[in-house]
Amino acid sequence: MSLWRLAKQSLGFYWRTNLGVLLTVVVSTAILTGALVVGDSVRYSLRMMVEARLGKTQLALVPQNRFFTAGLANELADELNTSSAPVLRVRGMIADGNDKRRANRIEVLGVDARFFTIGGGGNPFGNDTGQGVVLNEQLAARLKVAVGDEVLLRIEKPSVMSRDLPVSPDSDLSVAFRLKVMAVATEAEFGRFSLRANQVAPLNAFVPLGWMQDNLGRDEQANVLLVAGNPEGGIGPENANMAIKKRWQLADAGLKLRRLDEQDTLEVRSRRIFIDESLSEAAMGASDKAVGILTYFVNELRFGDKVTPYSMVTAIGRSADAAGIVPMEMRDDEILINQWVANDLGAKAGDMIELRYFALTPMRKLLEQAASFRVRMIIPMASAAIDPNFMPDFPGLADVDNCRDWDSSIPVDLDKIRQKDEDYWDKYRGAPKAFITLEAGRKMWANRYGNLTSVRYPGSTTSVQNLAGSLLKTVNPASVGLFFQPVRQSGVKAGGGSTDFGSLFLGLSMFLIIAALILMSLIFVFGVEKRSGQIGMLLAVGFSPKLLRRLLLIESGFLAVLGAILGSAAALFYTKIMIYGLATAWQSAIAGSTIRFYAKPLTLFAGALGAVIVSLIAIWLTLHKQVSRPARELLAGNPEWQFFGAKRISKGRTGLGIAITSAVGAVVLLAVLGTGNSGSISAAFFGAGALLLIAGLGLTHALLKIVAGSWNRTITSLAGFGLRNSTRRSGRSLAVVGLLACGIFLVIAIGANRHDPLADAHKRDSGTGGFVLFGQSSIGILHDLSSKEGRRSMGLNDPSLEDMQVVQLRVRDGDDASCFNLNRAQSPQLLGVQPEKLQERGSFMFTNVIEGAASKEAWNLLNRNLGQDIVPAVGDYATVIWALGKSVGDQLQYSDDKGNSFKLQIVGLLKNSILQGSLLIDGDEFIRRFPSEEGYRMLLIDCPEQKIDAVTDKLSFGLKDLGLDLTPAAQRLAEFSSVENTYLSIFQMLGGLGLILGSVGLGLVVLRNVLDRRGELAMLRAVGFDKITLRKMIFHEHSGLMLGGLACGVIAALVAVGPALKSPGAQAASFSLVLTIGAIGISGMIWIWIAANFALGGEMLDALRSE
Amino acid sequence: MMLELIHVAKKYESPGDIQGLSVLKDITLKVEPGRSLVIVGPSGCGKSTLLNIMGTLDYPSSGKVLFDGQDLAALSQKELAVIRNKQIGFVFQLHHLLPQCTVLENVLVPTLADKMRPSMKEIRDRAVQLLQRVGLKEFLLYRPGELSGGQRQRVAVVRALINSPKLLLADEPTGSLDKDSSENIADLLVELNHSEKVTLVVVTHSLSLAERMGWVMELSDGLLKDRSRP
Repeated sequence: MSLWRLAKQSLGFYWRTNLGVLLTVVVSTAILTGALVVGDSVRYSLRMMVEARLGKTQLALVPQNRFFTAGLANELADELNTSSAPVLRVRGMIADGNDKRRANRIEVLGVDARFFTIGGGGNPFGNDTGQGVVLNEQLAARLKVAVGDEVLLRIEKPSVMSRDLPVSPDSDLSVAFRLKVMAVATEAEFGRFSLRANQVAPLNAFVPLGWMQDNLGRDEQANVLLVAGNPEGGIGPENANMAIKKRWQLADAGLKLRRLDEQDTLEVRSRRIFIDESLSEAAMGASDKAVGILTYFVNELRFGDKVTPYSMVTAIGRSADAAGIVPMEMRDDEILINQWVANDLGAKAGDMIELRYFALTPMRKLLEQAASFRVRMIIPMASAAIDPNFMPDFPGLADVDNCRDWDSSIPVDLDKIRQKDEDYWDKYRGAPKAFITLEAGRKMWANRYGNLTSVRYPGSTTSVQNLAGSLLKTVNPASVGLFFQPVRQSGVKAGGGSTDFGSLFLGLSMFLIIAALILMSLIFVFGVEKRSGQIGMLLAVGFSPKLLRRLLLIESGFLAVLGAILGSAAALFYTKIMIYGLATAWQSAIAGSTIRFYAKPLTLFAGALGAVIVSLIAIWLTLHKQVSRPARELLAGNPEWQFFGAKRISKGRTGLGIAITSAVGAVVLLAVLGTGNSGSISAAFFGAGALLLIAGLGLTHALLKIVAGSWNRTITSLAGFGLRNSTRRSGRSLAVVGLLACGIFLVIAIGANRHDPLADAHKRDSGTGGFVLFGQSSIGILHDLSSKEGRRSMGLNDPSLEDMQVVQLRVRDGDDASCFNLNRAQSPQLLGVQPEKLQERGSFMFTNVIEGAASKEAWNLLNRNLGQDIVPAVGDYATVIWALGKSVGDQLQYSDDKGNSFKLQIVGLLKNSILQGSLLIDGDEFIRRFPSEEGYRMLLIDCPEQKIDAVTDKLSFGLKDLGLDLTPAAQRLAEFSSVENTYLSIFQMLGGLGLILGSVGLGLVVLRNVLDRRGELAMLRAVGFDKITLRKMIFHEHSGLMLGGLACGVIAALVAVGPALKSPGAQAASFSLVLTIGAIGISGMIWIWIAANFALGGEMLDALRSE
Repeated sequence: MMLELIHVAKKYESPGDIQGLSVLKDITLKVEPGRSLVIVGPSGCGKSTLLNIMGTLDYPSSGKVLFDGQDLAALSQKELAVIRNKQIGFVFQLHHLLPQCTVLENVLVPTLADKMRPSMKEIRDRAVQLLQRVGLKEFLLYRPGELSGGQRQRVAVVRALINSPKLLLADEPTGSLDKDSSENIADLLVELNHSEKVTLVVVTHSLSLAERMGWVMELSDGLLKDRSRP
């Protein structure tokens, strides 16, 4: 005989009770472990997504809006001894063959076999090199097309020069093709390729690289380069960037170097027209003979009332060389004109000439400016200065035969062009008609894209190769955007820092777990009470309380371990149910992504272990009280009969003390914090509600004690009898009241926070900012849609657009930092906005701003000077706090177009807005950091309500070729809120299950209470009570407990959610909460009725005999 | 002296009565080793309370209880448990056998609390021997549910003796038995008192059992009166 044997015997003998304990442990383990496994599954799925979207890619070269030679891929593959693939990536839009279904903002990728090799899977193109397109599964499903079907693909046509420049054409922004679908690329075929850590699958269309290069006029060029890791490791940004430095060519920097024999000079110019600052510096420093040149297209040269229209003027560095054009002593307010202009204007040396030109302004607003110069000298037409090579390859200007065919967005009045102008063009092309100093030219025409259009080295004997080599050595490739990003590392990090679904579901399920544990404790304590005589006997024969606890813990420990093992198996089903829920009813929570089931053995073990520990703690707490009772009480049987030796009946002082203290605390909390900002008001009310809950439970405890001690009041009614009975086991009664009250409190308090974003959505301080439409385009919109001129430039002349006001934002693509992205965004999308536009409108509401700033002026914070390389930024609360894990005052590291690091500092948080997912910075700062981003790809549109449909139609149609998607702003807000509301639904459902368990607990308490009193109830029947009356008495006793629990919980919860109830949309939440409370009440009543019936069944008079 | 009670009193708090209810007023008693004492009295007079105090299951409100010369009030809970395990045996009216254990196992339960117990073989042999003495050798592997009331109570008596206690306390040992079973139990107790030399204190309101004991005391109004025959 041993303790273990005794424990084993007891386990088997009391199998009914032990089965109940076992089942509750199984339930709590299943939920606890299952929640953790949900977290495993999400993390695993995100990891698989990284593999799916990157394949073997380790690093990516992604210079924004820049192109390099596709051959660089081979060079780097050789240098790094790994695979590399060039990609030509542009934005586009696509429709099915009938143009019925469209998808905007797709990625069009020109690729070759190397791309799919890096993908690690098959090549969907196979051996087919014909013309066609491969769509990924998501895009094919969106368009409902299959292999062989035709699609209309429109792709952005990258400009050699930024389209923000007035001289750049604003037409011909895209080109369309009708293509056949050659294949649908699965995930295994790299169909899900994306460099952004978003779990929502991109919409990809793949075309042959060569075909794309031909059609975009980008021969041998690419704008993305992927580098795979190699088995030896060691492929990192540092050595990859060094490899670029070692192997790159001038063409990769967009530069061309040529010898102009006629002029006896070497010349460097850029494919991008304006030479980047870093390249300019390097070019100028490459030789002491270097001469900087900046040529611009001016509207006119004027002398009095004579005008020479539409001419090239070159600003050129001074030269001491006799052959130089601008001598050292020439002043910045002087000009050299050629003979042709002198004749045309009738001007001579000493005369004042006026230059008129369009300056670079936001949204291509044409702002004509003028500058006056004194003619220093007339240059003969035979001079070497009359050189058409001074003109850069301005698109739309350099490549036409006649002036009248010029195609830039500068409005050319064809009536001003004279035949002599055409003749000049025929003979001299773009040879400059005038020269000024470089300094003067830079003052007028230097822009963020560069301040030179070429650099010459007159009389240089250096070879092209040597000069090229010198330039390449001097320039840092990163300064022109050629630097590698560790995309795999970032992707893994994003997935690793993702929303912890394990903890989230654990939190959501917490009440259910607690309810299961309480139920387990109740069942266990009932079992122990049933064996109180045994326990008393064991104490009487010399078992110490410690030994006794050990014996009972052995029993319960076995149940806990067995329950945990079985529960771990059940957890797998629980997880699968949760994943199914996330894939169906709750898919809003994960933006429709696919979560794959995955369970780590360690998680299962940890969950089981946690459940065992928690169960044992709950059991130990229960045991402690039971075993601490004196042996004689236990031996006597019914502890309620221990009148002698009983402590004095309390007057409920403890409970009353708790109730009063908590109630006073609630009042004080409301008084102190209840009038602050919305955040502190909500916290104050919630805290007050929690304190009132405690007060309610304290009061319940006190009432139970007071009623129990009211011996001097004789019971004269059945109701009084029932009331006295409910105080017999005050611990059980309080447990039931507490479980129901806490459950109701949680369910209501959480459920009432549901948002109805459509309420008050029209207000400017709402999440829509007062805008009615939210737009996103594939291709940047270059003009100001709020102005008539801007709309006319875009071909939008409809009168219905006249009252439209648009705030246009520039977009720097990045990770989606909204609640739709499960990953932790590493580099969120950036938006450039003119803050004054939002400030004037009073759009959106700020929840927090940096210290010392006023919320009402918060938009102006974007212009605040925070120090060198620190840029103020504003973000939505959910983006900053939840997605990024940051707060006001925190900083994020970014790199600009030139690879320079700078920091973004959060200065304000927006309340629940449509701008969730991005960070906003000042528009001017944006273009300073990211000059390559052309146009505006995000629109916030306001118009009169009655014109919404018309505006939507006109804009959608008019900007169709830019791939504009318009969404009602309220709908976008609703989509964000649906994520939060979905989580609330999950919590409510799980909380509701917990409450149902709670009502099962109530039923068990009823059952136990009645079974304890079988003899007494039999006696009542013997003296004439019928079963129906007894059933009523039991029902009243226990329904009083249930209603008490509901009342405590509901009252406390209503205080807790007071502010939320006043908010718009509270009605819908209130209705569902009333339903929930009703369901719990009915469930409780049913369980009481069932338990009472069961307990009153059988021959009650048998119980009298055993008395 | 085996057991000595010196001016022991026991009072319970009572609602509505500031002074409380005195169950035992002034009990002084000396029990020599080997004696058999029966305490009789009307129902509710405090007999079980007195027995509980003797068996260290309860404490007196005042007075002293000495067991083998040791003042029980000076002992810790652990020490009292050792005394109950090794020195005292209890027989309860409701036997409190463990329904999940066999007869043999029930008898062996007190040995589980003895850290210094002899080998299991020795203990088992003693248990079998004792059960044989009470006529239950054939029932070793039976569960209590398979025995009659008298048989169960005999098992309870054996359980009380397994650790060879010096003092055996029996609280209404025949209270829930029929006449024949009661007689058997009474015989058993008397016989054990003689053969095992164990001091026996019995609380009962059964006259036939009381007559079998050597010393009769009556508890009345909180006081003990000697009712033994001269």
